[in-house]
Amino acid sequence: MSELLPERAVLLRDHVREAAAGLRDAGMEIDRDPTAVDRWLHLPAVALMRGCTVPVEYVSSPLRIGPYTYDMSSCLEHTLTIEELSYGDAGFMLACPGPLMSGVAVGALGDDKQRHAYYQRLAGPEPTWTFFGLTEPGKGSAAAELETALTPDGDGFRLDGAKRYVGNAAFAQLGVVFCRRAPGPLGIEAVLVDTETPGFRAEPIPTVGMRGARISAITLDNVRVEREQILGYDTLKPSRRGLVGAIRTLQRFRPVLAGTALGLTRAVLDHVRAERPALAGAARQCLDDLQDRLDAARWHNYAIASAIDAGEVRADRIAAVKTRAAELAERATLAAAGLLGPGALLRDPWLHKVYRDARAFEFMEGTGHIQRLAVFQGVAKGTFLP
Amino acid sequence: MTALDTGSPATAADRLAAFAGALDDCHERAVPGGVVVSPAGWAVASVRRLGDGAPVPDGSGVLAARHGPRASDAAALGTFREALLELHRRTLRGVLDAAVARLDRRESEGVPLLGRQLVRGSVADVALALSQARDVLRLPRPTAGRHHRVHRELVDAGRTALKLYGAFGFTAEGPGGLLHLTELLGDTYLYPEGPEDPEAEAGHE
Ligand SMILES: Cc1cc2nc3c(=O)[nH]c(=O)nc-3n(C[C@H](O)[C@H](O)[C@H](O)COP(=O)(O)OP(=O)(O)OC[C@H]3O[C@@H](n4cnc5c(N)ncnc54)[C@H](O)[C@@H]3O)c2cc1C
Repeated sequence: MSELLPERAVLLRDHVREAAAGLRDAGMEIDRDPTAVDRWLHLPAVALMRGCTVPVEYVSSPLRIGPYTYDMSSCLEHTLTIEELSYGDAGFMLACPGPLMSGVAVGALGDDKQRHAYYQRLAGPEPTWTFFGLTEPGKGSAAAELETALTPDGDGFRLDGAKRYVGNAAFAQLGVVFCRRAPGPLGIEAVLVDTETPGFRAEPIPTVGMRGARISAITLDNVRVEREQILGYDTLKPSRRGLVGAIRTLQRFRPVLAGTALGLTRAVLDHVRAERPALAGAARQCLDDLQDRLDAARWHNYAIASAIDAGEVRADRIAAVKTRAAELAERATLAAAGLLGPGALLRDPWLHKVYRDARAFEFMEGTGHIQRLAVFQGVAKGTFLP
Repeated sequence: MTALDTGSPATAADRLAAFAGALDDCHERAVPGGVVVSPAGWAVASVRRLGDGAPVPDGSGVLAARHGPRASDAAALGTFREALLELHRRTLRGVLDAAVARLDRRESEGVPLLGRQLVRGSVADVALALSQARDVLRLPRPTAGRHHRVHRELVDAGRTALKLYGAFGFTAEGPGGLLHLTELLGDTYLYPEGPEDPEAEAGHE
């Protein structure tokens, strides 16, 4: 697969691969106690997550490998980094401080001043956790119908409503909240919120797996918002902000998420091979089939991320690769339990963890049904199947 | 409204406790007063019934497991497997019914999500799997291989059903924990072959 990647991407991948080795113990601990990431903040993987998408000029010692300097603002490099860290442990990766999706939103929508303040804070000496708050209790997939209200209040605004299943929100210092300033899709805004602002509350939601994502329920009760917290308010037309920003962020982040699922899948298949080196017959065929699907999906994902870097955003293909990667992760963990023999889930705590974790990808950044609707659009327009 | 719905008074802890009790009934049917041990030497039952077992990792506090050498005899295993699959089927049926009720109340563009054709398709797929499992389980001369195949079919249908809940199905309060236990039990008890013979099955496809 290396030959498909430019040299600088291969160097980055190998570097991150090294940083990802040894994350599994930390991941197991986070599965038991999602706050445990605090004990692992010294790891090189955490430094990588903190720097991902923060421009080099803000970082005191940016990542340099050979002749190259990296800030992972390239979708391909971001995807590779997250895939390799997820091979180590996807839950650990998601529990890390750093910009994650909020950084992509600020990068896409923020004006210079907003970006500067955000990056300065993220690059500061203290680890900063962030969140990307879109989903609401009553409206998940129907994001355009969100109800959290941004109401004028003196020279600023106030924010009222609720969000649910938002990664890291209960532990974060700041994040992006999508909210409604006016009716209709163009009435949606993205607002940067400091979690210390009075009226902001967030509680963790216990889950069956992927506990490192630390999904949370947010309540917003009369939270004060200044005009300058609205991303792109002074520089972008309403039609280029808000929901458009959410969609753009999700599209830019979907290959990254697919990378998470593919990293986990690769880890599972390698685990099966290590545990059962002598698999033969139908069992071997099953493993080979999964490996083929993985290799194909990774290649496809790199191609899609590279296309995004080249300015070509194909919603149907992005949706397809996210769906396939999510399905593959689930399928591979189910198969692994079978291939490792009866009682594998009781005997093998790591397998049991990834078996539970893999179910998360279906929901993150849009369910399989929603992605299928996008693929259908591509089929109807003749863009999906060339 | 059914027991698995968000608005229902029963908590996830209540549902998990009821499931553990129902699992003990399966043991009781096969080995009165005891627990069934799988061919690979595992026994899983409620914490109460298997007092000396270790808590099952992520059995959400209700199940315990013990590993020992002596497997139960074929007759006890056969009875237990049938009872376990029936419990799996009943559990999934409850999850499906509650999903339908929930989707009827969640709306987008002013219409219930239950009206979406993709959603209807998934509901139908789960229902088809449930009815087929029932038919297969009624066939004469049950075999361990057949039981395993039915289990795998129910696991796949369960995954489809859980997707219908969105992220709620992935939370500890939702139905995901319950179906996870059915999967874990099938992984422990419903293999037709011995512990060192995974080649005989092509995994879970
Ligand atoms: C681990 C994890 C991390 C997450 N992180 C974040 C985060 O950081 N920020 C954030 O904002 N959200 C986050 N989410 C939430 C996620 O984005 C939502 O769960 C997802 O968008 C689905 O919404 P819902 O759960 O409300 O399901 P619903 O929208 O209620 O869906 C229920 C069912 O209906 C189907 N459905 C809905 N609409 C349609 C339609 N039009 N056509 C066909 N079928 C449809 C769905 O596919 C699903 O099967 C996270 C979720 C998880 C599990």
